[in-house]
Parts: sequence; structure tokens; C-alpha cells
Amino acid sequence: MISMKLVTIVCEAHARKPLTELLREVGARGWTAFAVEGEGDKGLRLADIPETANIQLQVIVRPEVAATLLERLEKDYFPRYGMIAYASDVQVLRRGKF
Amino acid sequence: MICVGCGWNGWPSRAFVANATSIMELFDAVRANLFSPAVLFFALGVFAAVVKSDLRFPEQLYAGLTIYLLVAIGFKGGVAFAAAGFASVWLPASAAILLGALIPLWSYPILRFWGKLSQVDAAAVAAHYGSVSAVTFIAATNYLTAIGQPFENYASAFLAVMESPAILVGVLLDKRTAARAGGSRWEGSLREVMHEALFGRSVVLLVGALVVGALAGAGGMAKVEAFFVTPFQGVLALFLLEMGLVAGRRLGELRKVGVFLLCFGMLMPLLNGLIGVWLGQATGLSLGGAALLGVLAASASYIAAPAAIRLSLPDANPALSLTAALAVTFPFNLTLGIPYCLEVARWLYSS
Repeated sequence: MISMKLVTIVCEAHARKPLTELLREVGARGWTAFAVEGEGDKGLRLADIPETANIQLQVIVRPEVAATLLERLEKDYFPRYGMIAYASDVQVLRRGKF
Repeated sequence: MICVGCGWNGWPSRAFVANATSIMELFDAVRANLFSPAVLFFALGVFAAVVKSDLRFPEQLYAGLTIYLLVAIGFKGGVAFAAAGFASVWLPASAAILLGALIPLWSYPILRFWGKLSQVDAAAVAAHYGSVSAVTFIAATNYLTAIGQPFENYASAFLAVMESPAILVGVLLDKRTAARAGGSRWEGSLREVMHEALFGRSVVLLVGALVVGALAGAGGMAKVEAFFVTPFQGVLALFLLEMGLVAGRRLGELRKVGVFLLCFGMLMPLLNGLIGVWLGQATGLSLGGAALLGVLAASASYIAAPAAIRLSLPDANPALSLTAALAVTFPFNLTLGIPYCLEVARWLYSS
């Protein structure tokens, strides 16, 4: 088992394309996205139409990639998109996949 | 509402304000529109959202119904386009493109100086109002059919070509002003904007179905009529029920967008509708066709524009433009804007 970081990003669906581009840029080798709904500090996020839908993006990366990713998110993405992000420790098999 | 509109855009008092018969006509036109199944279902949706009913359409159904409506209207328009021939369509179609591109140019200063919106927010809202709402257009064609007012069936070609120009102009407006002010704006490349504006899902569906319809012609129509034409009214009613829910849920957000955008969302359709109808008449459309061009000019986009603008102008607050387009202008046009455009057309064509 190898220690890696799982970065979870919950954001508006429109941020999907710029985010996946960023993931590739910082060196992530894949990602998983799914539709989610919920409430944040600004109230309920209406997830009734694609224009206001929300997604959760998950990506497993090496710790140094996670640090770069979170830094970039904070600098360029948080001011522009409705978004939260956090990292957690995970144990993975098959290191080459990440 | 008419009086407000005329005073505001500085039209001479020759307008039909003083004319009691015209007002009665407008009243009748509005009443005929309000009691159509489409508008009644919309009202039901708003009601359900306001009383917090648990009625909810899956997001996929909304997307599915949108696809059906866009394909059906595009295909029908394409068949009519082929029958009418390019020679009679190109002039009003060019006028439609021009209108879409120009509306942001006068919306922007209004938003900027009267509304005190930031550059990027003004550009975003201007792009939404220059672009068009397919469902408003469809509701207008329905209304004209119901009251027996003939119109050019190829008018959906105008709908198809009016989606993109305003989005591009809106983005350029912001990039230019940002560059001139020496500010560095998020550098989404122009190529990306072009791609989103020209190949976004609604544009591809509409223009694509239009081309398919034009190539397939009347023979093709006979094959798909049972699916795309006969059930159309029912699907539209269902979709408007959902639109009512969507708009109703956002009524609370009206407080956040402010009084200015609320007024903007109802007065701009009056001004743009008037210009649209006039341009329709000037380019040789029939009364019904000119009314439709007016409705297109009056409408604001809430499908093509939000996606493209969110990607190209991410610094703009999406709640402003989406709430104004969806919760103010769409219901306004659906109920009053459509009969207003028809009455403007009747007035212009009789004088």
C-alpha cells in the first residue's frame, strides 16, 4: 500500500472543463466526476437545470501534486467559481495508475 | 407597461398610448395568451415552486425535453427554409444576426451607467439579452397559430442564427474594456469562446436540425411528423410546467439582483421587441414574421449564453444574468412580451 492524497472538489458544473484542464496541467493522471446537490454557506444550490448543476470531482495524486493543485485552486479558481476543495490521505494499490 | 416603455425609450406620443382601441386590442391579445395551455402550465409550475411542493423534474428530463423542442423546431424550420428558398430568407436572417450582435452594444452602457454593474457583469448580462430564448420563440409561434395569425415557418432560422453573435460581442466588450483599463482578466482564449458560442449544445441542435430539415424536405417531414409535430404541444406544456418550477424557485433570488435588473428585465424586452418588429418589417417579413423577430429580440438566453459566458467570463456573477433572464424576462415575455410584439407589429403594419 502506498500513501497518496485524495483531492475532492465540489463545484458548479460549469467549472468542469477548466478544472479538468488544470488537473492535467498539474500532473494528475485521471479523475472521477459525479453529479451532486447540497447546501453551502450561501444557501441551497439549486441543482434543477444543467446551468446551476453541481459536480464532485475526485482525483488521487502524489502529495506534492496535491499541494500544487490546492495552491492553484485557491489562487485562480476560488475567486471565480462556486467551489470547495479538500485533501485527505488514502492508501492505494498499483502506484503506476496515479 | 406600454406607457412606461414609450416614455422610457423616448418614442413620440404618436404611439398607441392615446389610442383606446389599441389598448383594448392589446388587452384581448394578452388575455388570449394568458389562457393558452402553455402559459397556464407555466403558472402551475410557479405556483408549485412557491408553495414548496415536492414536485420536481429530474435534471435529465429537463435536458431531454430541451433536446426534443430544439430538434423539432429546427427541423420544422429547415423544411420551411427549403420550401421558401434562400433568396427570401437571407435578408431578414442577416438582419437577425445584426440585431443579435447590436443589442449588447446598447445594453452594455445602460447596465454600466444606470445599473452601476461592473464591466464584466454588464458584459455578461448584455450577452444574455442579445442572445435568444428558444422556448419564448416557440411559445410565440404557438400563440400566433392559436389566434390564426400567419407567419413565415422558416423564422426558426432566425432563432438559430441569433444565439451566438451576442455571446461573442459580449465577451469582446469585456475583453476590450479590461485590456484598455490595463487590467488582466482571466485569459480564456478567443478560440475557446468561439467554440462554445458556435458549438454549444443548443446551437448544434438547432442549426443541425435546421440543416437536416432543409435537406430532408417535405418527404422527410412526412416520416417524422408523428413524433416531432403531433405531440409537440403536449411536450411544450410539460416543459413549461418545469420552466415554471425553475423560475419559481428563483423568485427568492430576485432580492439579490436588485430593483435595477428587475426593471431592466422587463423594459429591455419592450425596447428590443420594438426594434425587432421594425427591422422585420424593414426587411420584408409579414406581420407575423416581424412579430416573431420582435419576440426574438425581446428574449434573453438562459441555455446557450450561461454556459458560454461562464467559461469565457468566469469573473461575472452568474446569478445576475441567469436570474434576470430566467425569473424576470422569460415570464414577462411569455405572458406580456409576446402579445406586446404582436400589437407593435399590427400598429406598424397599419400605419
